[in-house]
Amino acid sequence: MGKPKERRILYENIDTPDMHTLDVYRQHGGYASLEKLFDMDAEQLLNEVRDSGLRGRGGAGVSAGFKWNLMGKGEPKYLIANADESEPGTFSNRYILQHKPHMLIEGMIIAAWSLGIHKAYVYIRGEFTLGKKRLDAAIQEAYAAGILGESVAGHDFALDIYTHAGAGAYICGEETGLIESLEGKRGQPRVKPPFFPAAIGVFMQPTMVHNVETLSNLPYIISNGTEWYQSLGAVYKDTPRGVDPMNTGTKLYCVSGHVEKPGVYEVEMGLTVRELVELAGGVRGGNEVKAVIPGGSSAPVLTPYELDVPVDFTCLQMAKTMLGSGGIIVMDETTCTVRALENLMDFYAHESCGQCTPCRVGTPWTRDIVARIEAGKGRPGDVDHLIEVANNVANIDTFTWNTICVFGIAVSWPAVSFARKFRPEFEAHIEQGKCVILPVSEAVAPPEENYAWPQELPELERKPTWDY
Amino acid sequence: MEPFEFTPERLAQFHELLTHYPEEHARAAMLPTLHLAQEQNGYISQAVQTYVAGLLGVSEAQVLDVVTFYPMFFDAPVGKHIVRVCKTLPCDLCGCGEIIEHLKERLEVDFDETTEDGNITLLSSECLAACDQAPVIMINDDLHGRLTPERVDELMDALE
Ligand SMILES: Cc1cc2nc3c(=O)[nH]c(=O)nc-3n(C[C@H](O)[C@H](O)[C@H](O)COP(=O)(O)O)c2cc1C
Ligand code: SF4
Ligand code: FES
Repeated sequence: MGKPKERRILYENIDTPDMHTLDVYRQHGGYASLEKLFDMDAEQLLNEVRDSGLRGRGGAGVSAGFKWNLMGKGEPKYLIANADESEPGTFSNRYILQHKPHMLIEGMIIAAWSLGIHKAYVYIRGEFTLGKKRLDAAIQEAYAAGILGESVAGHDFALDIYTHAGAGAYICGEETGLIESLEGKRGQPRVKPPFFPAAIGVFMQPTMVHNVETLSNLPYIISNGTEWYQSLGAVYKDTPRGVDPMNTGTKLYCVSGHVEKPGVYEVEMGLTVRELVELAGGVRGGNEVKAVIPGGSSAPVLTPYELDVPVDFTCLQMAKTMLGSGGIIVMDETTCTVRALENLMDFYAHESCGQCTPCRVGTPWTRDIVARIEAGKGRPGDVDHLIEVANNVANIDTFTWNTICVFGIAVSWPAVSFARKFRPEFEAHIEQGKCVILPVSEAVAPPEENYAWPQELPELERKPTWDY
Repeated sequence: MEPFEFTPERLAQFHELLTHYPEEHARAAMLPTLHLAQEQNGYISQAVQTYVAGLLGVSEAQVLDVVTFYPMFFDAPVGKHIVRVCKTLPCDLCGCGEIIEHLKERLEVDFDETTEDGNITLLSSECLAACDQAPVIMINDDLHGRLTPERVDELMDALE
């Protein structure tokens, strides 16, 4: 068996010079999907997208077809591309905006035509200055070439796309916070129900919100067909269905932290954590892995016992974590897990929008407990205390939250998982009254002890395309 | 109070911006308008808030509400250059601590402070979505990655 290999589809030609321009994008097959698109009606397209198995890449992994089906009937409807990309450890949208912005426009045209939308926004994080400049230029080119505007590619269909820059608040990535922000207010999430964007979104109209990567899959699904797309992805030995229909396509995995070659790796879903780390050049200096966060900072951390978990929606969920945004943060033996958690809790304490009390109060409280443990001032019982406080923001065992949005879960997931899985290291800090970095074998609580380690994972079939 | 109004070019840009949103939702142009204003004025002064409120037909409180929520808007004067240092986990794992210390020492400021000559304001930032290039900083609109203290010195030299 060889080594896992990349399968570039969205990132194909992303390094080609001037790929952000219309000419070069077209030379490499860009906008080809539009030739098929307008021969298909809304129902056909909805079926295609649903059958492709495409799931949202923004974090929650909702089936795109399912969401499209829920789209309200009121007019006008809106489309929003979520380019807020702020989840720590995630950086794949940045390079799409900078190097392949026309792919996003093409995807947005497909979604808009399918859902009967004539106005679309790209909510782009304020710090993405180059990305916004490139995307703005691409949109201008598309208007000039008749790809956007009154008559999209010569068809009786109008579409306008506008970019809208945020201003540095993480919570504006949450779709209803984003919508509030787009309306010119503080980015405070709305209560769901009733404010599911597909029903009541921006300007109180039906709104489809998708991540940049999700939309960027659409041109390839339409051009190459659903069957082709279904053939990409995880294959389990024990499924009669071939490729698992819940985990189709490639994923842009962002690998960062202590690896030799951090970067975005596009592979078919289903490689294991270990294989992805290998793909990124392995752990730096041949060090031992201590911890891996598999889906952006909000995802529960994995220990060295859990590295054979396939990184796809289903398996990560079975491992009580999530694929999330696909941000894989690797920590080696030199890492202090208490300090790592303190860093994350600092982030969440800073980014809580302050609207609900459990989150506004519980998040800094959680941070303070971790900070005091790290500073050597922890008290006996603090680890349980930490778990309790975090679980009161949102309970990770019952998967219930006392908050308006799932930011609450995004806080307690890392907090509780770090505290449980690296409990010996946390306790050592408290006992010795200082920061102590234990060897990996001692720092990690054994899986049987106190966290829901997946005892049985579906076994994966090797696909020839995965190997050199 | 220093009065404020858009230059004719920016006013034209503002009117173009308004066309992006439904007519009855001019307030939606708030963030882009504030970005424009900050570009011109350096920060969102009281006069800017009053002016923007007038342009968008909203109350000054509604503008203030937004200005105080978003970290990228400044409600007080800042330096000529803005340096943002990422301090979130992937950058921390890759040694941003050393970069932060170096910057603070060299500029003789803490976070949220401006150098005595008014040239540089140092800010901390959450993940800048460039963790593959960690540790990273942003100088005004430009991102710089894989930093070392030496590289930071070169970049700072260029600002002086
Ligand atoms: C706290 C929080 C932050 C989020 N940040 C982002 C983000 O930066 N980008 C993104 O696409 N989705 C983000 N999401 C998910 C969005 O709410 C939404 O589910 C997603 O944009 C839908 O797109 P998809 O169906 O293509 O995944 C965030 C969610 C939460 C709760
Ligand atoms: S959970 Fe936190 S971020 Fe979400 S609405 Fe409540 S206070 Fe705001
Ligand atoms: S943590 Fe610094 S760019 Fe992501």
